[in-house]
Amino acid sequence: MSSAVDTAAPSPSSAAPLLEIRDLRVKVAGQEVLRGVSLTVRAGEVHAIMGPNGSGKSTLAHVLAGRPGYDIVSGSTSFQGRDLFALAPEQRARAGLFLGFQYPVEIPGVNNAYLLKAAVNAARRERGLAELDAFEFLALVRTKIKLMQIDESFLSRGVNEGFSGGEKKRNEILQMLVLEPKLALLDETDSGLDIDALKVVANGVNTLRAADRSIVLVTHYQRMLDYVVPDFVHVLARGRIARSGDRTLALELEKRGYDWISDQVAA
Amino acid sequence: MATSTATLRSATLDRILQDYAAIAARLPDAAVPRAQRAHALAALSRLGWPRASDEQWRYTNLRAFEAVAAFRPAALAPAAPAPDVSDALELPPPLPGFQRLVYLDGVRHSAVATAGNGTGSAASASAGKDWPAEQRLGLLCDMFASDSAALRIRGSTAIELLFLTSAAAAGAGCYPRLQVTLDPDSELNLVERHLGAPAAPTLVCANVRVEVGRGARLMHYRLQQCGPQIAFADTLAAQLDEQASYSVRQVTIGAGSARTSAQVRLTGRGAAFSWQAIAVGRGQQVHDTALKVEHLAADTRTEEVFRGIADERARVAFSGHIHIGASAPGSDARQSLRGLIEGAGAEIDLRPRLEINTDEVKAQHGATTGALDENLMFYLLARGIDRTTARALLKWAFLGDVLRAIELPQVRRAAEHGAAGQLPDVMAIGALT
Repeated sequence: MSSAVDTAAPSPSSAAPLLEIRDLRVKVAGQEVLRGVSLTVRAGEVHAIMGPNGSGKSTLAHVLAGRPGYDIVSGSTSFQGRDLFALAPEQRARAGLFLGFQYPVEIPGVNNAYLLKAAVNAARRERGLAELDAFEFLALVRTKIKLMQIDESFLSRGVNEGFSGGEKKRNEILQMLVLEPKLALLDETDSGLDIDALKVVANGVNTLRAADRSIVLVTHYQRMLDYVVPDFVHVLARGRIARSGDRTLALELEKRGYDWISDQVAA
Repeated sequence: MATSTATLRSATLDRILQDYAAIAARLPDAAVPRAQRAHALAALSRLGWPRASDEQWRYTNLRAFEAVAAFRPAALAPAAPAPDVSDALELPPPLPGFQRLVYLDGVRHSAVATAGNGTGSAASASAGKDWPAEQRLGLLCDMFASDSAALRIRGSTAIELLFLTSAAAAGAGCYPRLQVTLDPDSELNLVERHLGAPAAPTLVCANVRVEVGRGARLMHYRLQQCGPQIAFADTLAAQLDEQASYSVRQVTIGAGSARTSAQVRLTGRGAAFSWQAIAVGRGQQVHDTALKVEHLAADTRTEEVFRGIADERARVAFSGHIHIGASAPGSDARQSLRGLIEGAGAEIDLRPRLEINTDEVKAQHGATTGALDENLMFYLLARGIDRTTARALLKWAFLGDVLRAIELPQVRRAAEHGAAGQLPDVMAIGALT
């Protein structure tokens, strides 16, 4: 792991980098939002990216997932050794990158089961695997549904249609578990969750942890990190990673807030 | 503004009058009384043939109607029992629990009719009622109709009406005519389908009059799936008595050019009207709908939902006018109009209009036209769905709320297959399994 400023950061593992961002600069509507972000995420690692509102956390997640509307000014990003920005959003997803949305959209008329099955099979085709038939798919999804404490009737409902905020977040994690990505970028997945829902979501995230997968949690508060313990914590301020450390950094932020780091960056 | 008779005369109107003069003596009185035909003739002569410069007609492809070779009806008398109509046209499978009535080229086809009590061919009870200027194509049907379906409902029943246009009708007119009267507290599920694909420009000009009595309930499914050579005009007038309920689920996917003009009057306290419709046009199809609802009594309700997709060079238009009169406090009117432009040369025109003349009403309306929502598109792409499939899914979802409102599974399937047939990418991904 490397970043612009390292303080008390744990030693990186010897695993190969899954995601490598170098000096990434991004503009939105002519304004520079990311101003030289560098980050290395290796297989098996969990990183938390924290920061005040407007620091560029969600921008980073969305740029990595390929959302249109961002102007990549300079820098490079590789994912599993491939140039990430050369891939279309759907190719990134099929290659194993998953974005958990902060505000999952509702798509009435497209049911959850159809979306999930199409997504699973798109990823399997990419990997040269046979597509799942309806029975195989149902067997797979049933185990994950139970884990996320979601009623099976959700499958026949429109994507996120009429779901509460917590249900939407659980559905995001369900999708993640079914798709089994190599890298999960979870954009403020903890926002708007009560403590019970937070535990369910965190349990789902922990289930995905494996030696060959990585998770990047984008969050404003450290409470999620009580349940999903990160290997590394980074603070994004004014478009840069201003500080990196282990999970004690998150606890320090909880006590001191973000202003002291933002002030350091401004200075 | 006064307009001289001379300026209202057009070559088309002249042809209509000539055709009528040539055949008037042979038109059956049993379908439309002679006096009513004459009344319609006089009214059309006075109003003139509509022009594209008229606001009410500017989105209608009048040329398609003018291209029909003759306005005379294709058939004058009920068809003989044989040959079976299915020899000429493939009929959809019957709906379980529904009586089926078949009209071929505007005339009752007795061979496949299974009418029960309260149904039959008869002159409608609407003699003397005028069609307003924006519904003047209804006058054509009054002039030329060779038959008339009259449904008087007591109790509860379900009826399917198939209006078929055969190859033999090519170049002429078909005039389906329907009068539906629901007695107080009765209930009717009505399916009205228009089918047929003649090889030459053909006019199908339908009139529907609906009267829903006190506490009665009418669910009216309307599927227009005519072939591309048909110019389809559909004129509907409905009146709802106290606590009556009238729900329309309309699917417009066929005909080269179609014009639906509907006027609904909520005259009884607590009457409720619901109109949920889709129109999907592709190629050079033109689908134009003008709906006017008048709230004339207290506590009346309207729910209006329209979803239109224009692909390739198609034009889809919807005008929704809701008038809440001074006599209608406590009214509730909701209108949601959405259009999706899919083709570079396509056009969507949505015109919401709420006119409120009393206090204490709830009213909301929204109209949006545009391309597919980029946020929804990105969500699907971020799940690995390819762009073509994502587009197809979102188009299908766009129509979803109206299609899901079709409660009868067989009718919903027919509507879904018809709509998907207009959207080849939707058909390709098998979204409607």
